[in-house]
Amino acid sequence: METQHRSLNFIVGRILLYLVLIVSSVLMIVPFYWSVGTSLKLERFIFASPPQWWPNPLTFLSYINILTRIPFLRYFTNSVIVALVTTLGQVFFDTLAAYAFAKLKFPGRDQIFFIFLLVLMVPSQVNLIPMYRIMATLHWTDTYLALIVPNLTSVFGIFMMRQFLMSIPNELLDAARIDGCNEFKVFMKVALPLALPGIATLVILSFMGTWNNFLWPRIVTNSESLFTLPVGLAQLQMKNTSNEAQIMAGTVLTALPMIMVFLFMQRQFIEGMTAGALKE
Amino acid sequence: MPYLFIAVPVVSIIVFMFIPMIVSFWWSLNDYSGIQSAKFIGLDNYIQLFTNDPIFIKTLVNTTLFVLMGMGVGPTLGLLTALLLNQKVRFQSVFRTAYYLPVMTSLVVVSTIWVMLYNRNGLLNSVLTGLGLQKVGWLSDPKVALISVAIASIWQGFGFETVIFLAALQSIPRELYEAAMIDGAGSFQRFWYVTLPSLRHVVLFIYIYGIIGSYQVFDQIFVMTAGGPVYSTSTIVHYLFTKFMDLRLGYASAIAYVLFAILVVFSYLQWRFFTEKS
Repeated sequence: METQHRSLNFIVGRILLYLVLIVSSVLMIVPFYWSVGTSLKLERFIFASPPQWWPNPLTFLSYINILTRIPFLRYFTNSVIVALVTTLGQVFFDTLAAYAFAKLKFPGRDQIFFIFLLVLMVPSQVNLIPMYRIMATLHWTDTYLALIVPNLTSVFGIFMMRQFLMSIPNELLDAARIDGCNEFKVFMKVALPLALPGIATLVILSFMGTWNNFLWPRIVTNSESLFTLPVGLAQLQMKNTSNEAQIMAGTVLTALPMIMVFLFMQRQFIEGMTAGALKE
Repeated sequence: MPYLFIAVPVVSIIVFMFIPMIVSFWWSLNDYSGIQSAKFIGLDNYIQLFTNDPIFIKTLVNTTLFVLMGMGVGPTLGLLTALLLNQKVRFQSVFRTAYYLPVMTSLVVVSTIWVMLYNRNGLLNSVLTGLGLQKVGWLSDPKVALISVAIASIWQGFGFETVIFLAALQSIPRELYEAAMIDGAGSFQRFWYVTLPSLRHVVLFIYIYGIIGSYQVFDQIFVMTAGGPVYSTSTIVHYLFTKFMDLRLGYASAIAYVLFAILVVFSYLQWRFFTEKS
């Protein structure tokens, strides 16, 4: 009787558990589903009552419309260029600097690193307006330079890679030094390959941060030909000539690349995101 | 050689962080439009902000309310979902993906989606009328708009906390639970005396990060409401942005430093968090 009671409790508990999980997951997915659905509807059915759960008729008109009316492919290319170059820059410069801070001895090392960490305390909005003026003075506004150069290094990346590189045994580095490698070669040939798991995390954080960044690219670009995807999408949404189906087509096109990358590299993404929070 | 290795970040930090930080502070003490030359006015911008700019005070209140809503609900949802997923669930990664998907998505995308859902004739109001309830002016009613933005933001962000809590839960040694069971602890006691204390560090991280991040809320406001209706969703960074666009650079810089001052305690805690690890 007792065990029967307990197993009944267990079954009810399990059913409730899955019920809550399924309902909450559906609530997470519905907005995405609804946005894809709306992008495939004819304008007059967007706000049909009762709502159309399945677009009928199903049409790609909105996609054709925005792809011909707005340089969406250009936004996409810009986003890819900016995110790739920024990520490459951060991987190289952050890891190189992190290597110096973790494995080399030089006067002022700890003081400089301390100052680097202090920088993490300042919210980026404090620098925003003077940064814009610097870009204007250099005639960099409305060029890729403004979108890329200020973000080529990141203090957080240096900090993270330093943590990672400290765990590499010095003997491996010394062996390479004895073989006659100069310090840069030791870095390229020994430290960098060993740091690859850390670099994977850095790539993900840096790529995602740049890809989704909005305020800075919004401020330093004026011409459509330099917009990144989020800036272009926000612009599309504000035009009163766009209807909801077109805005959703733009939304889907903007969100899709990142979601695809995520679905293929889920494990790395999740490890990357948790790396910062959990103490090893 | 070592100096060469750190040269690019050092130059970058000096040019793009230190100089702008100092310049920004200097401008905050000036009447400066960016076109005419700056005029030193001491603390006037700050005094103006706090004594003669009711909209700024409103942005402070709005932003704080936004942070309170987000921090009140987000981490709790994250912990609850993580606890559920930690129950030896089948398809755990499918559910986790569902919670995490919006985290990957840019805030601009999330905002355009929710603008559509919040439309007067949109899905949410259709559901409400279907249930025989009144339509809600999600983004048009000044009493509701900030809550609507907060709901969308929580939906976007709590999956991050789910994933972090889940990883933390999985790293709690099983022996701790076994020992507690032997001592006769029930499931609530195990949660209270084993789970929660083990999560202390992660909880701290999540709140510090969350508070700093949500005080800087901008993208959602820009896309969903532009600060309206009647400033009911105007936040600190959005207000800073509008003053920047109005070419009141000195005033905008003062706003930035007020934000810095608000966040300094949390930033210090975050900094401690970082330095403790190194």
